Amino acid sequence: MKLLIEVSSKDNLYLEICDGIILALDNYSVESIVSFSLDEIKEIKNNTSKEIFIKINKNLMNEDIEKVKDILIELDKIGVDGVFFYDLAILELKRELGLSIDLVWNQTHMVNNYKTCDYYYSKGVKYALLGKEITLEEIIEIINKSKITSMVEVVSKPSVAFSKRKLITNYYKDLGKEKSNELIIHEKITDSNYLLTEDSNGTSFYLDIVTNGTGIIKELYENNCQYIIMREFGVNSFEELIKDTKNYISNNCIDNDYVSKYKKLGDSTNFFFKKTIYKVKK
Amino acid sequence: MKRIELLSPAGDLERLKVTLLYGADAVYIGGQSYSLRANANNFTIDEIREGCSFAHKLGKRVHLTLNIVFHNEDMEEVEKFIKDVVDAGIDAFIVSDPFIISHIKTNYPNVEVHLSTQNSTSNYEAIKFFESEGIDRVVLARELGKKEISEIIDKVNCDIEVFIHGAMCTCFSGRCALSNYVTNRDANRGGCAQVCRFSFDTDESKEFTMALKDMNMAEYIGDLIDIGVTSLKVEGRMRSLYYLATVIGTYREIIDRYYEGTLTPLVMKVLQERLDRVANRETSTHYFMKEADWTDQYYTGRSEVSNQDYLGQVIEYKDGLVKFYERNYFEVGDTVELFTPSGEHISFVVSELYDSDMNSVDVARHPDDIYYLKLDSNISIPEYSMIKIVERKN
Repeated sequence: MKLLIEVSSKDNLYLEICDGIILALDNYSVESIVSFSLDEIKEIKNNTSKEIFIKINKNLMNEDIEKVKDILIELDKIGVDGVFFYDLAILELKRELGLSIDLVWNQTHMVNNYKTCDYYYSKGVKYALLGKEITLEEIIEIINKSKITSMVEVVSKPSVAFSKRKLITNYYKDLGKEKSNELIIHEKITDSNYLLTEDSNGTSFYLDIVTNGTGIIKELYENNCQYIIMREFGVNSFEELIKDTKNYISNNCIDNDYVSKYKKLGDSTNFFFKKTIYKVKK
Repeated sequence: MKRIELLSPAGDLERLKVTLLYGADAVYIGGQSYSLRANANNFTIDEIREGCSFAHKLGKRVHLTLNIVFHNEDMEEVEKFIKDVVDAGIDAFIVSDPFIISHIKTNYPNVEVHLSTQNSTSNYEAIKFFESEGIDRVVLARELGKKEISEIIDKVNCDIEVFIHGAMCTCFSGRCALSNYVTNRDANRGGCAQVCRFSFDTDESKEFTMALKDMNMAEYIGDLIDIGVTSLKVEGRMRSLYYLATVIGTYREIIDRYYEGTLTPLVMKVLQERLDRVANRETSTHYFMKEADWTDQYYTGRSEVSNQDYLGQVIEYKDGLVKFYERNYFEVGDTVELFTPSGEHISFVVSELYDSDMNSVDVARHPDDIYYLKLDSNISIPEYSMIKIVERKN
């Protein structure tokens, strides 16, 4: 099982200690705290043997298509290990351009069943980043039943929603104040905070609590999950977490001290053990 | 030249019949499972069969939403469900999951498959992918403008459907799990709790809100026809009969008058006022003519207003008496308007009112009770005509 990370700054990419990184691409990524230019990506790729994945997960508009075409051709040449995609235009462009670049199905809240994973696999998609609103039981079932290579995000402040609208700008305009690019909003019923960030693509929503999936890594490992992902944003002592997690995996996830130690990340396990409902009893 | 389709929501069999009678060319409905309005009444297989039969006799069509984001467990029964719905006579499925698209096109090639707006399809290249999978129609993302829609139509072969009226999501459809996190109700399996209409605390002096105004594209129907859109979709499977009758009837008139060349500014003003009257929120065209901005949303929490214009639903008209179910209080002396599914509007002052036992009364005050009112009319007044208030005497 490999450990991919998504960093929250350009200061430290942790390439020495992880198996690979996910780099958001300037202007074409959303739900990421930091993004990289194509030149920066080339330089990183040229200086490491670790796996490099690129995130192009915005909802693409017509005007984006020609530019994305050029980007995909360039990424194919560079030899990155995969492109996380949301918009199906990416899959179509790969086919039209005859590119060999691997793709990661990354439709944030939609990657929820093994049959659709297999559908994408049949279309040449190698990986799927599973949804974060499904249970561990569902995740294991997908890993076991689908031919696609599953990726599971185990530590992060999860992405909750994305709007094309400039919601922070609008809020501050109504207030008559100068805007910030970030805003914490507090939901009263659940007494929980959400972080909003805004850029030229729109507004991203994150749950402002770290999901702590360190306790499920062993079960993922035992079920032959190929990749887990940790995102740096909001996580303290991230470097130590990566090192410890790599050691934990190397030792077949039998070190109980690891799980005990990382209880410090908090007790939020998101939907790993909580099933959502959709029919409300009347 | 093929005329543009007016596509109406229908949360139950009665709404299906009423909206088709009021001028919809097709309706979209939900089954008991797999639809994004899990808490609407929705249709049993027998009701789907009856609805399809009713629509087909009128030369109209029924589309079924099968647009949840599927979990493993949802896949277990869906293939049987699809077969049952096809056997019931459905004309098209509205789907977001490409596995389901592929399954339907492989097994039922004569049934249309439409890509749900849940996919927020926003460019021509993504549509080309789905065309290669056999998709017949794409319901575009609501974040697109006229220029983008037009460019897509020029570059693809499948039909294009756009939303023209009703409530809006703040986030990209399918790209929002706020309901999951805040209420544990799965937004993408039909449980959306509309968290984007909640208000939130911040460190600033005012609550944060993001609720959007509704969409109203009445002024731009001609533009949508001219650029080659195939279908105009109204939102609102859980809306009232009166609302749907008014909205569908009004858009029917706008479309027909546009083709006939009789949609004058004055007529448009009257029709727009009719739509405004049943709206419970302010409206906007959002992205159609400009990038959506701060004017398209609310800053004061939930902003719905209730509307008590709707007075009654006609059961029959015989011997100068209109028999109807009462919906809201009114009385003798009030000025009311009766409108029919075929678009006739009759205004009059209520002169005589009777209860169900034909006792003369001054007021109708019991919703759902049957009343009669006197009306001399040469115009046919069929079942499902509606009565609304114009002016109260007091």
